[in-house]
Amino acid sequence: MRALTGTFERANISVTDVFMPVTQPPHVSSPLSPPVFHILLALADEERHGYGIMQDVARQTGNALQLGPGTLYGCLKRMLAAGLVEECDERPDPALDDERRRYYRMTRLGKRVVRAETERLADAVIVARTKLAGGNV
Amino acid sequence: MTPESGPIKIFCRIYSVLLYAYPREFRLQYGIAMQQLFRDRCRETARASDRLSKLRFATHIAADWLTTTISERAVAIWSAAHKKTPRNFVTEWAVTIAIYLFATTTLVQAYVVPTGSMEGTIRVGDHMLVDRLTYAQAGSIGPHILPYHQPERGDIVVFLYPEDVRQTYVKRVIGLPGDRIRLDRQQVIRNGRRLTEPYVQHIATYPDAYRDNFPLTPEANTTPRGRDMFASHVLNGEVIVPPQALFVLGDNRENSEDSRYWGFVPRSYVIGKPLFVYWSYDASTADLQGWTLTHILDVTEHFFTRTRWERTLTVPRSQTAREVGGAQ
Repeated sequence: MRALTGTFERANISVTDVFMPVTQPPHVSSPLSPPVFHILLALADEERHGYGIMQDVARQTGNALQLGPGTLYGCLKRMLAAGLVEECDERPDPALDDERRRYYRMTRLGKRVVRAETERLADAVIVARTKLAGGNV
Repeated sequence: MTPESGPIKIFCRIYSVLLYAYPREFRLQYGIAMQQLFRDRCRETARASDRLSKLRFATHIAADWLTTTISERAVAIWSAAHKKTPRNFVTEWAVTIAIYLFATTTLVQAYVVPTGSMEGTIRVGDHMLVDRLTYAQAGSIGPHILPYHQPERGDIVVFLYPEDVRQTYVKRVIGLPGDRIRLDRQQVIRNGRRLTEPYVQHIATYPDAYRDNFPLTPEANTTPRGRDMFASHVLNGEVIVPPQALFVLGDNRENSEDSRYWGFVPRSYVIGKPLFVYWSYDASTADLQGWTLTHILDVTEHFFTRTRWERTLTVPRSQTAREVGGAQ
């Protein structure tokens, strides 16, 4: 965990929480906000456009997290600035219609960050399981 | 390409206006993509087609828009301050505030119902959002842009009280222009057909010839406009609704001051139709007239116990009356 946090600092990632963009200074990186984390997961297997990301995030979370247009593109803007994702090209989605859509892909940095975040969450789950197994709750 | 249905096109156009609340840079960068996303989600919701998911979608979009416009504005101003580039904050914020005002005054508006004339359908203390768009008066190009409708029989309408336009009333439309209306023993007879109205509540405390058998002759509490209706629009014992006007009655039929007393509602006085109740609070008529100190204290003390939680998100609906019997 400590080594990974080191990577975070070197990369100087400025992914800030969507709801508190001002209060968080840009160098704070971990934990990622839920929308950012799930957007990265959505882009882990393939390039997607905005609506595709939104649908995949809804699938991942069992419809618990629905991204509105403002939240989605606000996050993407900050993730682009931080170098977590990049734009590919504009092309139509064969399944939807003949309109051109902007596609996004995850960068290598993005991959590293989402791995690190997954590790962190896994550790948190272990801690939580241990605590709850103690019978306090 | 799926054929675009009318309402979706309209909502997309409204959304494109709402996008102006975002900072200019953000809008130029992502505006088109956001409109695409919004349209795709509209189509998705239209396929689901039940009322609750539509409502959830609308609230979700509204919440998303409100929070992200504020946060994006804040970010824009924060970063501008750090870049030390001169920027006119006043103009930036003025645009945002103008858009908020547009959204809250043109599209929807909140009202509270302080009286019981619609009791049975709408209760005293219901706080509702009113859709101001549907019945808005269409301009010359209006009908092509926005989903205007005319009020129908059985619709609930919110309108300015013709005798005092500072007050707003809510009633049900009974007669449209050209309809012949009379009441016989508390029952409405429209165009010669007796109506069975499922929404009406009859809790008469005392018989009243004027109220129950309308129209007879003006009485003491008939207002000047009501007298005018008696003088110019009654023929053969029936009221005939003139063009560009509506005849409205309360659902709590025997405890309602409505078109029987003050005449027709001019079409231009109609504000809109109730969307849904967002908060229903059990309080007296006098308390609901304004936010007095006693009312504020009362709400703080009894908020949880006197809020009618089961009425939250109920929708006051249009209902059609059945016509029974032949011509009378």
